[in-house]
Amino acid sequence: MFFGKKRVKQIEEHISQQTELDQSYWANVSRQFNKNRLAVWSLRIFYVILFIALFADFIANERPIACKIDNTVSFPVFNQYGVALGISSWEDKFVTKRWDEHNYDWVIYPPIPYSATSQDKYNRNYASPFEKQRDKTGTKKWWNYHWLGTDEIGRDVMAGMVYGTRVAVLVGIIAMSIALIIGILIGSLAGYFGDTRLKMSLIRLILNPIAFFLGIFYGFTSRSYALSDGDSSEYLTSIAIFIGCLIIANILASILKHLGPLGRQITLPMDILVMRAIEVINSIPGLLLILSVVAIIERSSVIWVMVIIGLISWTGIARFIRAELLRVRSLEYIEAAQAMGFSERRIIFRHAIPNALTPVLITIAFGIASAILTEAFLSFLGIGVAAEDVTWGSLLNLARSKFQAWWLAIFPGFAIFITVTIFNLIGEGLTDALDPKLKQ
Amino acid sequence: MFQYVLKRLLIFIPTIVVVSLVAFSLSKLAPGDPVELLMKGQNNDQGQKASTQAYERVAERLGLDLPVFYVGLSSQASPDTLYKIVKKSDRETLDKLIQQYGNWPKISQYYKTLQQLEVAMYQVADDSSNYEAKRTIKRNVKDLYLRYKDGAISNLLQGIETATKSDSSLLPLVALSSNLSQKYSAVKNEATPNQLLIPSLKWYGSNNQYHRWISNFLVGDFGFSYLDSRPVSHKMWDALRWTLIINFVSILLAYLIAIPIGVSTAVKKDSTYDRVTTTILFLLYSLPTFWIGTILIVFFTTSEYSPLLDWFPTGGVQSLEHVNSSFFTRMLDIGHHLILPIFCVTYGSFAFISRQMRGGMLNVVKQDYIRTAKAKGLSENTIIWKHAFRNSLFPIITLFAYIFPAAIAGSVTIEVIYSIPGMGKLIIDSIFARDWPVVYTILMFAAILTMIGNLVADMLYAVADPRVSYNK
Repeated sequence: MFFGKKRVKQIEEHISQQTELDQSYWANVSRQFNKNRLAVWSLRIFYVILFIALFADFIANERPIACKIDNTVSFPVFNQYGVALGISSWEDKFVTKRWDEHNYDWVIYPPIPYSATSQDKYNRNYASPFEKQRDKTGTKKWWNYHWLGTDEIGRDVMAGMVYGTRVAVLVGIIAMSIALIIGILIGSLAGYFGDTRLKMSLIRLILNPIAFFLGIFYGFTSRSYALSDGDSSEYLTSIAIFIGCLIIANILASILKHLGPLGRQITLPMDILVMRAIEVINSIPGLLLILSVVAIIERSSVIWVMVIIGLISWTGIARFIRAELLRVRSLEYIEAAQAMGFSERRIIFRHAIPNALTPVLITIAFGIASAILTEAFLSFLGIGVAAEDVTWGSLLNLARSKFQAWWLAIFPGFAIFITVTIFNLIGEGLTDALDPKLKQ
Repeated sequence: MFQYVLKRLLIFIPTIVVVSLVAFSLSKLAPGDPVELLMKGQNNDQGQKASTQAYERVAERLGLDLPVFYVGLSSQASPDTLYKIVKKSDRETLDKLIQQYGNWPKISQYYKTLQQLEVAMYQVADDSSNYEAKRTIKRNVKDLYLRYKDGAISNLLQGIETATKSDSSLLPLVALSSNLSQKYSAVKNEATPNQLLIPSLKWYGSNNQYHRWISNFLVGDFGFSYLDSRPVSHKMWDALRWTLIINFVSILLAYLIAIPIGVSTAVKKDSTYDRVTTTILFLLYSLPTFWIGTILIVFFTTSEYSPLLDWFPTGGVQSLEHVNSSFFTRMLDIGHHLILPIFCVTYGSFAFISRQMRGGMLNVVKQDYIRTAKAKGLSENTIIWKHAFRNSLFPIITLFAYIFPAAIAGSVTIEVIYSIPGMGKLIIDSIFARDWPVVYTILMFAAILTMIGNLVADMLYAVADPRVSYNK
């Protein structure tokens, strides 16, 4: 009996192992990835960075998480979100007094009781982490000590680094999302249609460029007065008008193409067009372009940097998608889908792209690393960040004006280094995991 | 091969057009007025008329009195001769007015009356009684050239009218100022906003700013800097020297160290030596140059931390006391200044090249003919250096061609940190100062060098590896 049980267990294990082995492609990839210890650790560090970026307000904030004043308990950090969303407002006492000047009955501060921009007037002029730091009552206690020192106007470096993490993660995500959207769209057009398969009626070919110019005219030229003083919603309206023009033109084309000669089919050599365009874009020196574009934007903000990095770094993704789709296109299941009469759009987006997407992960990992590096470099040069923005690059830049403040040279640069390195390592891990030649 | 090169050269044309258009439109979108930038040094107290004339002279020299481009897309409301208003700030204000009210004839009348008022105001003699009022008028008129919002304009006009009535010497201005107010209310009341919705494409012909710039560029005339009026080519040549020195030395060093390391790690694959070296190379590759540059300049160029660490000068390329010394001491001094920058430029490319070399070597070592060579009993050294090494050089050769365009842009960081007057610092300074002739010349050169680099890389690839063929 006992032996039999053990045997059954063994067989069960054996079967479960077998099913595990011929599991899906993704299981295979993640198994390969997990063998790479460095890559796995990088992924873990990335989770930590993501956590810091998400909860930056709870990690470093001059506002208490919870406090009790005059018998009322309030939660300033949470309230901050309410104020930002416009559903709540600050009580008068919080507006008129600095946060550290209240007489709290009890108070719970975040681990770092400073925001990136809050200035500690007792520790101006580069307070070193290893020297005595002053407080209004004397020496600083451990809980509000500047563990990584301060800068010239008394801003806490550690708090700055926490908010810098948020900027870096945002840069990586937003820039790569933009690059991904453009890259997938353009790459799949080129790869799926190739040079011979995109057919378009004559009228559509004529109407689209016209609509493009009309869209620019009605969306931007004739609205430039509203745009010049307006906020971001004006820009959204403009973009909506632009897209609307294109949609109207295409609807019009769908109707008009039934009219004899206007419906003549014309083949567009998509692949050649896209590949030439990519070649042109790759010849433009990217960094110099970003530098000169960002420098002329009057209201500088990190958002612009993210958008511009995204707008010029899609070519790698597009090339990847194109190459994969060229391969996928000739596979049998796509032929089957065509034979079943599915629309081109459905075949591309539901059937072809998901199978071509995996190698793009590699490009994304390396792309995030280079986007973060580029942004850090720009803010290091003082280009593209508003004066009140604190980023790793801008903190590192402060070290150049005060050689004595070694903490400004070491810590922010180390954060940039770690983040860039882990994304590079994740990229390498993915490359190994996705490379069929190495699959066991 | 010839056909292939020709085909690739044809691609140069659209690329140059795109890059030049991007650079040119950037310079046009940029805030700031190049004429004012150029005239900054000159004194502005020559009187109103003289300063306007001086402005027009400079604008004409820069070609700014021409239309911007071959075609222009604007609304029916804006005139096709708006570019003839030379002063940039005036043109922008008028444009904003057109976009609000859409009736150019009225706006034009308002503008002319404003100019008349200004001229008339300067003709009124100064005396102690009208001093205050005249100053108000002067300030308001100046402001009117910049304002396009209804509230602001009405306030200014009101101010002028009250001021003109306050003193008898200002009587000749009363009529003009009420005329101006009338003209402005005409602008408001007879607005034709519908005209703004009719698109109109305007054709300006080839006598335009872009055409002039690009045709000058193609014959090698890059224009003059807005900052110091020096020819752009001179400025670039001065800067190029330093960038070339730094990059030449660092590329040489990088290849000299990287190739043996790459080969040896590949040969001893998976040994401890290989693992340690590969990890170190990876770390070096990931270390941001601007961080290492900052750390080195912070710790090793002053006696801030310890007098023992004051090894290098803090930036620059020459010490003042050595400028007139003998050739040898000068070279020593320059070398002393350039050690840190060259190190910073070198370590990154060194790590990159070693990794490439190792990868290329690993690919070759797997090949059958290497096994054959081993089977023949050839010595390890002969196999590696005679058979494997030469074939694994291909990726390294192609890298070489990419390095030149990268050198122009890549040294931005180091040159800024160590204040070296090279190309990188030149372009950063020019961007900050909005010195567009310099910026777009460098942009164009960097693009052209990138294209040539890519082409040379592909051709070298074919030359080095007979299996690669472009004759299709």
